[in-house]
Amino acid sequence: MSVSSSSIAPEHLNSSGCRIQYSESKGRGVYASREIPRNTVIEISPVLFFGKKEYEKYGKYTVLDHYTFKWKDGRMALALGLGSLFNHSNSPNVSYTLDPCTDSIRYRTARNIDPDEELCIFYGHNLWFDPVDTTVSVINPELEDGWGGLSAAWNDHDDLGKLSNSVDQNEIVDDHSLPFTMLKPPPEEEDLATVRTEALHLVLAWVVDVPESRQITTLLKWLKNSGSEDPSLGHLKRIRKQDGKTTLLLSVDPTPPELPVELELASPFQIPVPSSAALTLTSLSLKATFWPTFYAPKRKGEVEHWSRGKVEWAREAMKVVETEALKSQSENELPISAFMPASYGGGEDEKVAVAHDTRTSNSHPLRHAVLNLIRRVADLEVDKSSSSENGFNYLLTGRSVFLSHEPCIMCSMALLHSRVKQIFYLNPMRRTGGCGGVTCLPTLQGVNHRFEVFLWKEVVSKLVINEALDA
Amino acid sequence: MNSTHLHWMQEAMAMAEEALAAAEVPVGCVFVRGEKVIAKARNRTNQLRNATRHAELEAIDEILSDKTLTPQITEYPLSTTTLYVTVEPCIMCASALRQLGIREVIYGCGNERFGGCGSVLGVNSDLEHPAHPAYKATGGYCREDAIMILRRFYITENTNAPVPKSKGNRILKTEIS
Repeated sequence: MSVSSSSIAPEHLNSSGCRIQYSESKGRGVYASREIPRNTVIEISPVLFFGKKEYEKYGKYTVLDHYTFKWKDGRMALALGLGSLFNHSNSPNVSYTLDPCTDSIRYRTARNIDPDEELCIFYGHNLWFDPVDTTVSVINPELEDGWGGLSAAWNDHDDLGKLSNSVDQNEIVDDHSLPFTMLKPPPEEEDLATVRTEALHLVLAWVVDVPESRQITTLLKWLKNSGSEDPSLGHLKRIRKQDGKTTLLLSVDPTPPELPVELELASPFQIPVPSSAALTLTSLSLKATFWPTFYAPKRKGEVEHWSRGKVEWAREAMKVVETEALKSQSENELPISAFMPASYGGGEDEKVAVAHDTRTSNSHPLRHAVLNLIRRVADLEVDKSSSSENGFNYLLTGRSVFLSHEPCIMCSMALLHSRVKQIFYLNPMRRTGGCGGVTCLPTLQGVNHRFEVFLWKEVVSKLVINEALDA
Repeated sequence: MNSTHLHWMQEAMAMAEEALAAAEVPVGCVFVRGEKVIAKARNRTNQLRNATRHAELEAIDEILSDKTLTPQITEYPLSTTTLYVTVEPCIMCASALRQLGIREVIYGCGNERFGGCGSVLGVNSDLEHPAHPAYKATGGYCREDAIMILRRFYITENTNAPVPKSKGNRILKTEIS
């Protein structure tokens, strides 16, 4: 059937139990004004088309770009009625069907809906760009059972990426729609009214007195060029001017930094500096007595903003992890894997490595996925260069690592030693894990590096292992 | 102070000296089974460009690759083995040792930054594990030597660095609190 020849007017419902409501985080959305049974048609939205050329030339540069559905013939369709007001969820309670016969989109409840519940659809679905029939239902058996497992959050992962024509990759994804949650971040000194100075987190840093301002310029340039800039010091100002003396912050390495000899500076020395930015003004004044610190007030509950593109990057990475874990299992190893992808938006020359558990085949109880991964990255490094700058063995500096399981204490510490920036894991290991299970190493007081821990929302049942094992 | 422990700890110190000579953080260890050293090793983090290649893990790899030491596959290949290491095992190594069922650990000085046998986290026994038995870890053997060699390392010129800098005016502190 030719889609463009449709002439049947769509039905229009206006008493289906839906109302429009504002929420602070999402703006407008569609909510249930009463109980709605499963499989009820709650909305039929007629669509307005943009021709392909028109869309390419104008439409995609407008706000409509966030709302349009890709129709079968390449036209872009804007849903009228309530259709453009449904918010996205990774576990949506509303499914929809494109109906080319009536040039409309039908929205149907996927389960029983409670009064006042928000009605959400899943934005990134194949149907948007690859409909195979004239009328396609998005309800498949997996989705029928309440979108359990990863079906909604995961198997449709391609969509967000492929939709780059119609969806803004930089659009920020709502926190609730992220496929993972960030574990409680390291304790910060937020409530200084009750915290004594002694409890302030401090680390020993190397600093050097610089008598002449011209030397500062040279040193800053040298720090940059030698790659010795320590990213873990980003919360501190580089220079302190105090009592007529100028002091430059260098590093937190155990070994003193090697400064250019021609500057004839005094030896670097170690002083305690705050280990994190100041969250409050009280904290700022306290921390500044140690070293000038940046003020970074956080709104309560604020988390890193994730763009659609970045979420997609994380999903892709986790898919590699899952594939590798299953491969491991098929080789009679434990289904445990680790993957270090190129950073989102990072350089093409970044090292990428994947590894899985080999404790069985190697008859070596410590051949865990993480240690194997780190070793693999080290091997790449040895092959590649003979550089021996300070810190060169902090292999994972600034990198993200994706894991099938929460790493054991040994592996968690290995990641910390390697200065990983953040980790994501699928299945928690409540009794043996070192990143939220029995302990959370990056939040311990005393350790000299911190990393972020993200826990995937859905446990992957086929990767569940004995809880007494160290992953 | 147990003289047998002191004896083996001196062997571990010799490995730390080897590390220092190789411009590595000077930590050394020996694994002893039946009054015999079955493996000895030292830090190789710089050489292998891998911050996880601590002395303990180096020695463990040596032990597990030698089939005569573990003729039969067993859950705890170190259950009759004692580790002597100049510095308290870090959290990573402390966990590795527990996973291999080490009998006991004797160490020199504590490690306030990463110590896994009580200084930062009690991985050896305080922390519960659903399978692996706890082990005893005792510090204080050759403690001063272990600290001094670390200080010597931090004061030595690092000839591997791209722009060598004189540290001639740095003073070796010898007081140990």
